[in-house]
Amino acid sequence: MSAYPDWLPRALAVLVVLTLLAPVFGWAAGAVGYAEPLENAAEATGATDSAEAVDIALLPDYSVAGLGSATGTFVSAVVGTALTLVVAVGIGRLLGSEPNAE
Amino acid sequence: MHIPDGYVDLLIALLFGALSVAILGLAARRVGRELPEHRAPLLGVVAAGIFAAQMLNWPIPGGTSAHFVGGAFAAILLGPHLGALCVATVVTIQALVFGDGGLVVLGANVFNMAIVEVYVGYGIYRLLAPYGEFRAAFAAGWLGITAGALTAGLQLGLSSAFEYELLTTLSIMGVGHLVLGLIEGGITAVVYRYLANARPDLRPTTDAEVSLS
Repeated sequence: MSAYPDWLPRALAVLVVLTLLAPVFGWAAGAVGYAEPLENAAEATGATDSAEAVDIALLPDYSVAGLGSATGTFVSAVVGTALTLVVAVGIGRLLGSEPNAE
Repeated sequence: MHIPDGYVDLLIALLFGALSVAILGLAARRVGRELPEHRAPLLGVVAAGIFAAQMLNWPIPGGTSAHFVGGAFAAILLGPHLGALCVATVVTIQALVFGDGGLVVLGANVFNMAIVEVYVGYGIYRLLAPYGEFRAAFAAGWLGITAGALTAGLQLGLSSAFEYELLTTLSIMGVGHLVLGLIEGGITAVVYRYLANARPDLRPTTDAEVSLS
């Protein structure tokens, strides 16, 4: 049984295109002033200062120390997309191979 | 809609964390019986696609921005149980590696995006699919993300950092995402229609996977 379905190359190409788009969208969202309803709710109630950063994050805010904003976003997109692909395939294989999951 | 640490009271974070663990455990058991081997690569690609798509912040003139969350999309394409595990994987990696969403509050974020959006989106899709799959997928994405935003608003509004202003958080999160959710619905419907036409074989086939009972 082949581990690689025929649609996989095309799907991977789509993923590459999405990662290339990440810095472009990052720039565009920054240009209009990025704010989500969550941030608006925090501002309306004075909660903004309560937010705490996650210390263990290797690539905080999808950025890479020492790299520019666009490059950092792109590297983050590639690393995150690849990592998610590997972890999710692993979970899928794990679940699929459970002989007698009740 | 990724809530950072410090926004939600510990008790609420723990409560929703426990709920998420319980529901995902149930989802994993349901999937375990049904998952054919060939669906593992599909799960991987959909999860990776959702991660990448979530990085695309759609700029909306007027100073707001939204990104695709993909819960309803995952549910329609993978079935709700696998869809929930798929989005939970994405949300967990976002928090651990990129600090997008907190760690204490990870269970609450998983609950909003990987459970509420997925199962509500799927329910709406199933309900409306007889009236047209495109419309059903649109409504699923649109109302699924709004439902997830409302549970986020609930968690925030019951927390001290937000001064327990439940009405404020519910209305800002609910109305905000009801508007932004139109983009979610549009992407869900367009991409789903493309995939359904190009590869009808990729849709979930087992009825067991689509029923909670």
